[in-house]
Amino acid sequence: MDELSIAIAGLRTVVAARSSDVTGVARDRYQGFLSPGVSDWRIEVDVRAGPRPLWADDVVVARDGSPARFLITREDFAASVDLDRRCGSVTFASLDEFSVDTFVRIFYSLALVERRGLIAHAASLIRESRAYLFCGRSGSGKTTLARLSSDATLLSDELSVVTMTDGPARCHGTPFWGELARAGEDLAAPLAGIYFLRHGDRHVVEPITPRRALERLLPTVVFFARDRDLTARVLDIAADLVEAVPCFELTFRRDPGFWEVIERG
Amino acid sequence: MVDHYLTRSTQTAWRVYDGEAVIILAEDSTLNTLNAVGTLIWEAADGQTPVGAIVARICEEFDVEPARAEQDATAFVDKLCQRGLFTLSRLPQRQP
Repeated sequence: MDELSIAIAGLRTVVAARSSDVTGVARDRYQGFLSPGVSDWRIEVDVRAGPRPLWADDVVVARDGSPARFLITREDFAASVDLDRRCGSVTFASLDEFSVDTFVRIFYSLALVERRGLIAHAASLIRESRAYLFCGRSGSGKTTLARLSSDATLLSDELSVVTMTDGPARCHGTPFWGELARAGEDLAAPLAGIYFLRHGDRHVVEPITPRRALERLLPTVVFFARDRDLTARVLDIAADLVEAVPCFELTFRRDPGFWEVIERG
Repeated sequence: MVDHYLTRSTQTAWRVYDGEAVIILAEDSTLNTLNAVGTLIWEAADGQTPVGAIVARICEEFDVEPARAEQDATAFVDKLCQRGLFTLSRLPQRQP
């Protein structure tokens, strides 16, 4: 087996495949996040062409009999992961970077729950050793904010990881990018604030209550498992997060002046 | 409806902030937020308390006329039953 190891938010996963073509795709895609060492997870990867459905079905993540075993299916891959044994396998219909990345995003959304971690649709940046999380759906301005922050360290312009493992909440860089088409740095910093984005003609930062923040945060969390226990754990992490970290609505226009307003706030 | 028993779905995860509930239904990840009266009904929906007793609590805590409270509670319960968040039964149910 050809193997490589990637680590996102400190969660290290060995990717093993019979063909080095498969690990080659992962090596290229996650080059800033390759991390040899003792692994937390092992995923075996295979590629087997088969008939594909005529329509692109949604992702389905469902419990597979045992409490910790989940099946993940989409039109371009089928996977099984065991959260207790920390291992899994995935078969792709073709060797495609997009399919691999989609699986990795979903897999980490499950695996990080144990570390009290979440993946959110959010840009994140480090400035003066503190991380800032900017949440929003497509078109909300995540990439725009990242582009306007040339003096900040990019963690992600699309999907950010926040952990509440022990101590204060931390935001981690990810290889998951949006329009910027550039991976974040493999770094982490204490989370100074969570900002929910809104376009406007001036910069305004308004504090919001934890309840309002939870309502805004939950729709941005990447989570597909239709499972009561995991959903409850994700809700707990999100609720603890908005109680531990100051949350704001950020109205902004397209210039870097929003940082001044954030720092004043 | 007042003599029926109301039970929260076991497929939900929820938290209450300042008297207002935030609820996720696991089967489709839909998010529901309730106001204070809705949260009172939600928390009281233990499968053991008849709807009539819940309506009486609403009247007591929110100073509402019984007829109005029953009408609003019935509409609310219907809506949440349709969303899969509540079930109504003629007999008491095990605690969710």
